[in-house]
This record gives sequence, structure tokens and C-alpha cells, in this order.
Amino acid sequence: MTDFKKIEENLKTESRRLLKEGLVTVVLAYGKGFDENHPMPYAAKTIADVDSIVFNEYCNYNMARYLVRYPQGTKIAIAVKAADSRAVIQLIQEEKVKRENLVILGIPVQGMKNPKTGEVIDSKTTCGMYNPVLYDILLGEEVHGVKSASPYDVLAEYEKMDKDARWEFWKGQLDKCIRCYACRKACPMCYCDPCFIDQSKPKWADKEPQSPGNMMYHLTRFHHLAGRCIDCGECSRACPVDIPLYLFHKKVAKECEEMFNQQAGMSIEDKPVLVDFRVEDSDKILE
Amino acid sequence: MLKKIAIEKISQLAAVLMEKGTLLAPVKEVSGHNFAEIKDPKQVDLDFYNTIMSPKGAFFPHKEDFVKYKIGKPLSEVEPAVLNLKPAFLFGVRPCDVKSFEIMDIHFDAAGIIDPYWRFRREATTIFGYAYDLSQPVDSADFYNTLGIYAADPEGSDIFMVKKDKELLLKAITKKGENLLPELTVLKDGITADEKYFTEYVNKGKEYKTRFMTLDQEVVAKKLEDIFDNTDFWTKMSAACLSCGICTFVCPTCYCFDICDDTLFGKGTRRRVWDACMFTDFTLEASGHNPRTQVYQRLRQKICHKYSYHIRKYGVISCVGCGRCTRHCPVNIDIYSIVEAALKA
Repeated sequence: MTDFKKIEENLKTESRRLLKEGLVTVVLAYGKGFDENHPMPYAAKTIADVDSIVFNEYCNYNMARYLVRYPQGTKIAIAVKAADSRAVIQLIQEEKVKRENLVILGIPVQGMKNPKTGEVIDSKTTCGMYNPVLYDILLGEEVHGVKSASPYDVLAEYEKMDKDARWEFWKGQLDKCIRCYACRKACPMCYCDPCFIDQSKPKWADKEPQSPGNMMYHLTRFHHLAGRCIDCGECSRACPVDIPLYLFHKKVAKECEEMFNQQAGMSIEDKPVLVDFRVEDSDKILE
Repeated sequence: MLKKIAIEKISQLAAVLMEKGTLLAPVKEVSGHNFAEIKDPKQVDLDFYNTIMSPKGAFFPHKEDFVKYKIGKPLSEVEPAVLNLKPAFLFGVRPCDVKSFEIMDIHFDAAGIIDPYWRFRREATTIFGYAYDLSQPVDSADFYNTLGIYAADPEGSDIFMVKKDKELLLKAITKKGENLLPELTVLKDGITADEKYFTEYVNKGKEYKTRFMTLDQEVVAKKLEDIFDNTDFWTKMSAACLSCGICTFVCPTCYCFDICDDTLFGKGTRRRVWDACMFTDFTLEASGHNPRTQVYQRLRQKICHKYSYHIRKYGVISCVGCGRCTRHCPVNIDIYSIVEAALKA
């Protein structure tokens, strides 16, 4: 794997070039935070801004989250790691961004760390891929020959639980929720405006951090992401009370893959599974 | 008056306090420590840096029921919530958090409107402050020194505690503390050497340095007013902001709330629930107009409220530098850096 310093250098070089040549108006990448272990998502709009771009093992943010903030038609360069590139693809499929307005800067990387815990981010909480699926410019050499566990391995324990045990498990986990909404805000696929939970007519759930409001919020969000979650793990990392949100998303992703033979965000030719119909689609759900 | 107890016997002290009333103390949870009502004395765990959520919830809970009502029934049938007014003990509060209660008192008690829920709880509660462990490194997010607070400041606590090797020294600071301390029979009397250690520890707390910048209230209040319209500055500062509510929920001095009616089949509860200026619907008006639709407007409000409007209105900065907002921000936005940048803007 190309080392972090080299990737950072390439990222800066390409960003400068793209801004200088006027090919993009903004580069979505990573910038300096209050210390080295805490970099931040960053939007470079001028060549001078590029100096503050950094890349190290703590740059785990999925920059695709910020794409929908810019008006349609804005020319954007975006730095993506493997899962992030899948989010970009999914957003293209959902027509939130157009392929021709993007310059995708792919970063093949392994060993990213969670700045809060220092833990290595692997297939337990993410899709566990190392190489971007889609890119225009690759900022380092692709990672090959490194074995990665299946992103669904972590489900083994969860799947042993029966229906009642799962209900109890989620009730316990979701009771912890303080309703800060960091999960939906960190999620690249959560772009509804307004989010159903913010609506007051009708009011779908109460505001206080307890069931049944917590259930209503999370279960609805889980299902809104069915077939769309690209397993970047940002929701779980953003959560201040450590709810393992990735478990539900992975479970639904696995079922989608089994039923429709398609993973979210793998090709811009695909349609999201739940808006597509194919004669050969599984009828398992009706049986 | 100074007393002491072995840290391994802390559950005995907890048990005594539980007999006297409600004990709120740090408890280890999956993601870290939080203050919780103690059910089993063994739960109390003083091996923590600081809690995830601030202790404000002890006086201003995330949700607070006011009344229960039935639609179509007269007002006389409304049932107001009854406050549990047993004596309460808030155990193990860090000095910066103790300071936050003073700031919150302005809003809930001193500014002309008295909030009975806050006041009654405050009056019923004895605060056991707890100095930071000076032998441990300071967290890089903390900056309470900037706000004039030090790691072992006893001021504001009723009883202040410092760690001495395997012992906990407890010193009464206020009248309330002096009255309570002799009643805690599990404690042993401190000796002269303990007194000396305590005083030295408090002084040594001043040497325990967090991030620091010289902050002149007048200058920062004025500067933020001046750059209010500098959209470029605020857009840049908020480029990463997700506009979630973590920073306000973990903050010891954020006090915004919403009054909600939860009604089902004609029966309802009216309650207060924490709200956050970072939420889109926080400023949504009945007409449908929203004066703060952009993320930069909401982040600007948060910073300016704490470091400008609050100074103008009440004479103090509404921040104690506990570092929670920075520590728990999912994208590492740092309020200290923003204030620093604002002063240079």
C-alpha cells in the first residue's frame, strides 16, 4: 500500500491542478483538525486552501455525505476510500449527483483508525474493502493480496438470536439513544429534506429519548436504507452512545444481496434494488 | 473539616449516602462513564476522566413531565407531576462541571424567571466535587484553563474530593457540606498531613495545564458581533459540521428545550425535552419560515450565543471548557479553534 504521506502529497497535487485548471470549484477532502489525531472533513475552494489538506489513518470520514450540500451542477472533486466510492455510486444511481460533475479521487487504503477509540476499522463495522470501486484518478497503488473477512461475518452472533431475542436486543440498544441524530447526519444516504422524524404534521414520533419514539426513528431509518446502505460504518462511529447500528444495516444488506443478487453502490448502471423490478427477482418474501 | 476513606471502600460511602437519599454518581457504561442514579453501591466507579454526558441532567433532565391531562376535561382535573424531593447527592463532579451549575443558575433561577424544577433539585442536592487526577495526562480537547477554571478548584462544590494514592480525601467547603460530612460515619478523620496534601493538591491543580488562550470577554463579544456577517468565515468554520445535536446534548451549559404534548386517545402528557440549536427545525416558525436554514447559521448561533450574546446579557461566557463538544463531535469540530480563528478573522 502507498503510505499515507505519499497519498496526502498526491491528493494535494491533484487538488491544486483541478482547482487551477478550473475543472472543479471545490475539493472535498480532509483537513487539519485541532490536533494530528483529529483531522476533519474539509472543503478546499482555492489553491491556498489546499495547503490545509491532510491524509492520515484517522481520515475515516465519508465525504460523499457532503455532496448533496452543493447545488446540482457544481463541479466537485471528491476524495473517496472504498466504501465512500460506493456511496458516490449510490448517489449517482439515485440521481442526487451527476457523474459528469464529479472528479473522483480514489484512495486505496487499509488500516484506517477510529479517532475516538484508536481501533482499526475493518469488516466488522464496514464493508471491509480496500480499493475504491469507481474513480477518475487513483492516488496510490491498489491494495491486493490482503485477505479481508466477509462483512457479514460479524452477523453470526446476531443471527443466532430468535425473533424475540432480537427484539429485546434492539429495545435495549435503542433505549440508549439520546436522539442527537448524528447517525442520520453522518450517513451519506440520509438526505431527505425534511427527514420524517422532523415533521410535525403528521408527527411520526415523540421527541423524548425513549421508546416508542426511539424505535420509530431507528426502525424507519433502518428500512429507509434497505438496499441503499453501502456499509461505510459512519453512523456507528458517529454515535455517542455506541449503538451497533451497523448490525441492522448489514443484516438487511445481506438479505438484499441474497434476494436480488446485488450489492448497493457497486455500479452506476444498477438501479437501487427497491426501485427496480426484474422478472427473475426472488419471491422469497411472499412465500 | 477533612475526612477520608479508602477508595476500595467507596461502595460503603455510597451505601450510606443511598440511605440518606438519592445518589447520582459516575457509572461505567459500554461507551464510557455517565452519571446515573445508583441502585447498587458497587456501581459507583471513580476511575474515569470525565463523563460523556454532563451532570446537568441531575437538575435538568433530558425529559421532564409537567402535567398529565385528558382532552375535554376541565383544568382542575389536570395532574401536575410530583417532584421527588428526597435529599440528593451528586457525587464525583469535575471542577469545570461544578462551575457550569453557576452559569445554569442564571437561566433557571437568577434571571427573573424561577424554574421550580431546577431550583428544588438544586436545593435538595449536595455536590461532591472531584479534582482531576493530576498524575494522568490532560485530554487534548479540554480547555477549562482558558475560562479561568483549574483542575482542582473546590469552589462551587459543597464537599470537595481529591485522590491521595489509594485514599479519597473529602473536605467540606460550604455550610451544607459541613453539616453532612460528620454524618457520614464510614469516613475517618483526616490527619494534618492530609490537610497539607489537600491544600497542596488544590494549588498544584493550577499547574495542570489545558489548552489556553487569553480571552478578554469584551474583546471576544465585540469581535463576534463584528464578524456576524462574514459569511465566508462561518461557511468555512462549518464546512464539516453535520448539524447533529451531540455538542449541545453533552454540553453542561446548553439549556434549550422544547415543550411537547404527547397525546394518545384523548390522554396526554405535557413535558419538556432538550432541544438543540443545531437542529433544522429548532427555528422553524409556524408560518413555515425558517430564519436559520443553513448549517453555518446554526453553528454561528451556537458560538455567538456562548461567546458573545451571553456575555452581553449576563456578563459571563456560557462555556466551561470541559471539552465534551470537541471530544464527542463525530467530525472533530473544535469550539476552541473556532473562537481562536474568530479572534484572528
